Amino acid sequence: MSEEVARSEAPKQDELGHGQAMAEVDPTAAGATLRHLLKGGAGRNVGLVIALVLLCIVGVATAGDRFASTANVLTILRLAAVIGVVSIGMTFVITGGGIDLSVGAMVALASVWATTLATQQLAADYHWIFMVSTALLVGAACGLVNGVLVAYGKIVPFIATLAMLAGARGLAEILSDRKTQIISVNSFVDFFGGSLIGIPVLVWMFLLVAAAGWVLLNRTTFGRRTFAVGGNAEAARLAGIKVQRHTVALYILAGLCCGIAAVMLMARTTTGSATHGGLYELDAIAAVVIGGTLLSGGRGTIVGTVFGVLIFTTLNNVFTLNNLSISAQSVAKGLIIVIAVLLQQRLAARATAP
Amino acid sequence: MSVRSARLLIIVGLSSMALIACTSNTPEAEKTTDSGTQQVAAKGNDEPGKKVKIGFSAPAADHGWMGAITKATQAEAKKYSDVELVVAEGTNDVNLQISQVETFINQKVDAIVLLPFDGAALTPVAIKAMEAGITVVNVDREFGSTFAARTTVLGDNLGMGVSAGTYVCKEMKGKKDAVIAEIAGIDSLPLTQARSAGFKEALADCGLKVNNRVAAEFTVESGEKAAANLLQAAPKIDAIWNHDDDQGVGVMAAIKNSGRKEFFVVGGAGSANVMRDIKAGNTLLKATVIYPSTQGADGVRLARLLVQKKALGDLVEVEVPRTIQLYAPVVTKDNVDQYLPTAFES
Amino acid sequence: MTEYDVPAGGQDLLRMTGIVKEFPGVRALDGVDLDIRRGEVHCLLGQNGAGKSTLIRVLTGAHKPDAGTIQVNGQVVSLNTPADSMRLGIAAIYQELDLVPDLTVAENVFLGHEPARFGLTRRSEANTKARELLKGLGHGEIPPGRTVGLLSAAGQQVVSMARALSRQARLIVMDEPSAVLDSEEVDNLFRVIRDLTAQGVAVVYISHRLEEIREIGDRVTVLKDGATVATGLDARETPTAELIRLMTGRSIEYVFPPRAELAGDAPVVLEVENLSRPREFARIGFSVRAGEILGLAGLVGSGRSEVLETVYGARRAATGFVRVDGKVLAPGKVQQAVKAGVGLAPEERKSQALLLDEAVYKNITVSSMGRFASGGFLNSHAERQAAEELTKALDVRPAGVEHPVRNLSGGNQQKVVLARWLMRDCRVLLLDEPTRGVDVGARSEIYALVRKLAASGVAIVLVSSEVEEVLGLADRVVVMREGRAVHTGPAQDIDEHQVLDLVMEGSAV
Repeated sequence: MSEEVARSEAPKQDELGHGQAMAEVDPTAAGATLRHLLKGGAGRNVGLVIALVLLCIVGVATAGDRFASTANVLTILRLAAVIGVVSIGMTFVITGGGIDLSVGAMVALASVWATTLATQQLAADYHWIFMVSTALLVGAACGLVNGVLVAYGKIVPFIATLAMLAGARGLAEILSDRKTQIISVNSFVDFFGGSLIGIPVLVWMFLLVAAAGWVLLNRTTFGRRTFAVGGNAEAARLAGIKVQRHTVALYILAGLCCGIAAVMLMARTTTGSATHGGLYELDAIAAVVIGGTLLSGGRGTIVGTVFGVLIFTTLNNVFTLNNLSISAQSVAKGLIIVIAVLLQQRLAARATAP
Repeated sequence: MSVRSARLLIIVGLSSMALIACTSNTPEAEKTTDSGTQQVAAKGNDEPGKKVKIGFSAPAADHGWMGAITKATQAEAKKYSDVELVVAEGTNDVNLQISQVETFINQKVDAIVLLPFDGAALTPVAIKAMEAGITVVNVDREFGSTFAARTTVLGDNLGMGVSAGTYVCKEMKGKKDAVIAEIAGIDSLPLTQARSAGFKEALADCGLKVNNRVAAEFTVESGEKAAANLLQAAPKIDAIWNHDDDQGVGVMAAIKNSGRKEFFVVGGAGSANVMRDIKAGNTLLKATVIYPSTQGADGVRLARLLVQKKALGDLVEVEVPRTIQLYAPVVTKDNVDQYLPTAFES
Repeated sequence: MTEYDVPAGGQDLLRMTGIVKEFPGVRALDGVDLDIRRGEVHCLLGQNGAGKSTLIRVLTGAHKPDAGTIQVNGQVVSLNTPADSMRLGIAAIYQELDLVPDLTVAENVFLGHEPARFGLTRRSEANTKARELLKGLGHGEIPPGRTVGLLSAAGQQVVSMARALSRQARLIVMDEPSAVLDSEEVDNLFRVIRDLTAQGVAVVYISHRLEEIREIGDRVTVLKDGATVATGLDARETPTAELIRLMTGRSIEYVFPPRAELAGDAPVVLEVENLSRPREFARIGFSVRAGEILGLAGLVGSGRSEVLETVYGARRAATGFVRVDGKVLAPGKVQQAVKAGVGLAPEERKSQALLLDEAVYKNITVSSMGRFASGGFLNSHAERQAAEELTKALDVRPAGVEHPVRNLSGGNQQKVVLARWLMRDCRVLLLDEPTRGVDVGARSEIYALVRKLAASGVAIVLVSSEVEEVLGLADRVVVMREGRAVHTGPAQDIDEHQVLDLVMEGSAV
């Protein structure tokens, strides 16, 4: 009987479709421009740009030159860099219909593994590249485990990565004996702690990862498949996409980003520690979601994520500069998440409404 | 007499602490100096001088002691009209704490009082601050480099153990077969190891040893769990030293549940709750060993003196010392009134 | 009706007159008359699309009719919400049982009206009451505390009925209740129905199986194209030929394009041999030549869609082979089927085929991305251009490949799915209900398109619930009933009556 049901409901859809078609074909010029703007990548981020600009205005108004100085902007960017790279990886996983709660723990484990005495010895004897590749490998391997558990083990991502969160941090504690491991390889610290054309290497790394992430998501078959898998996994499977393999690749990508973030954190702190990356999963998810990526998958934006990260770090900076209370900042953070998501929904509704 | 000699080493710290205390009106100071010198010294150093802007950053206040650190620091700064304190959000994320210090550097503060979440991880940025001409005062958790701070204010973890052990020895009055138990904090932390070492050393001095030892994690929940296990393991106990009064809330709950009364408990860190219990005298808590929660406050004072180029009162030396280690006194019913006002609320 | 004691007075329990329900573009119900008496089993007959489901939805308050009156016990009522219907004692047992599998039997029975005091549910009271209800249904052996998911399909149906009775239902609509049951369970079901009617409860019984209607039914109403064509027929005495004639005589005629002559030397492209999946279908075999359309006819649940999905590799075959151009496909590997040139336009277009929020062109190129990529980088300009050509050729409206597919009508969405496989130049196209949710005007277009595709040398397998569609489009027909092929032959040699008969009774008239 379901045929009949579909039949009786389908005409509604038809009507909707035609109505939409009319609106598409014959809008007022202004409406068209607005709609085009809202539908375009820039449009989706209008709310974020407004939020960031407002924050900056507040920053300049309350802290003046202390906020607007080059040094302060670089401070914001350096802080944003580490969590930003994690968030880029998270954007892919969420767009692909998953979630990764283990990012912070993977950062910790990668930082610890890359700073063990053995790894450091190798780096001291040959090149710091050994430390970097250890961090990347550890991150990617954790991501592989996440991906296999989700795609082939059919464990819901929330649970699979929750297990990784506990497991990886525990392993990091065992490896480091809960001690902070100090990096004595100066070449490593010098390179990653330094600057290129006046901009810190860490910030360059963030820019590079963000740019690569944007290209990967928006300009490649990999990205297109990510949207397809996250939007409708069954349809993607029936269209001939290897959904399971792709899911694994997404989690590996997230793990790899955590490896990169671990290297950045190691450079920033000159240490590896099991306590690194605490609660990064929440910061990353918050940044990704206020950026406009759909938590249920199928829609994702790297630009939005970058804005999301910048909004949170700028907020932090403005509060610090103004000597405002710890608790007030948390309240503001919560408010921003709610307002940003509400705004996104309104804009999205306006963009798709006939 | 190895304990005595060990304590001698701390004398420098002890006396310097007392001398800082000279400049303050905190009750804590009153025990070591007579009020006359205190007033003179206070007048000299407390007089408003050049305006000092101090940045303060500490880990998240997820523990009563840590919350007290920030509160005491802010309260101390308010006493001085020439101090402007900038407090950053308490955080356990070293990445964020580093950026807070960077922000302080950008803001060109005069001094930074820093209680790092992880001393080693915050070392590079502290060095950067020193290189930028900012006076860094390191509190409680030590940096990995001597170039990272002008002065370091430390608690005395080994001393805590020694004080607790000495008190237990005194109370046991030569009872040779006394069963002593210890409930430690997070076992892998150097501070826990130091506390335990001191305790062991002091007990050995009077021929006692730790018969049962368990470790908790500085939280109420973990304290309850560890104590419950301990009470199961040891059918008869004479004395328990619990490293931390925050986890002690859980420890006392477990003891209450067990109905055991044959022993007494010595606390650690010195929370106001515990001190009130000691004062009331109606619980098994007979004493606690202080780990001062005023380290940040002392850091602010030292930073102010350093920036204003003043010396510590009552020291002949014209410079503020590099390291100041605070004393870990034992609080009992007899002297509890003296410490209660500066105790932290957990 | 003769065997059962119908309360005197003769007043109808329910009378519907001139019910009209319009959906934009389609008149789903166009003057339905129906009267139900107390204690009778009233059978509703009609082809797919005749309006049975819509009628049930009107009856249960899910749809509000646009015209017509409904009387219950002689009083004109309006059924605006499901709650209205429930209050008047009308309940429905749907094909897909609407039970919560993780709750207990008693919890399901009283879901929404739990016996409670001061907000606390009274578990023991619920259990006692549920046991009574179940006993009344002749199924006292079902424990009220058992989790519903653990019960058999038949047991779940009984729970569903107990739920209806717990709300004092006086009219129970059963939508194809026997579809999920084996023959023994069907006997049980009939016993329960007899008990119910003996208590004066009326049952509206919907089924495609004529033998069941003959056994349990009292009177029959036949619907066709949204209108009542005959009502009050005797369920036992009316000849089968008469019922089928009433069901099939259509007023809307679809235009089927003429069949092209199949070249004598057209090679066999798709071969299916001895394909089986336990409890779904067994020993299905057929072959399709280039340019040929093979139709699979059968009821929902006869296994036709499952066969199609197994050929495609979306389900793993237990036994048997699928060969494309002579090469065997590994079972359960969609990727390999796609590579070999097989495409599927699935039954549930929205949930199985389309990325609704993505642009038309992305939906078209999703299976042939490799063509537009070099080194993993997509040339989206080329993508748009190629998609544009196809949408023009298929006359997808609105024109333009940037619209999200969600905004297209059913027919145009189907064209997008077809375009996806056209872009791959596929060899075999599997079409599952290609005109579901497609309005009347667009159907003819889809038919012409399917024909044209076949003419270009594609081998096509078509599944449809509408017999007319299968016969009109296909060159050869396989009729399926309960997982088995009961007839295979050229489409010209069989007519709608014969197919319906095969499908419903298993033997040609």
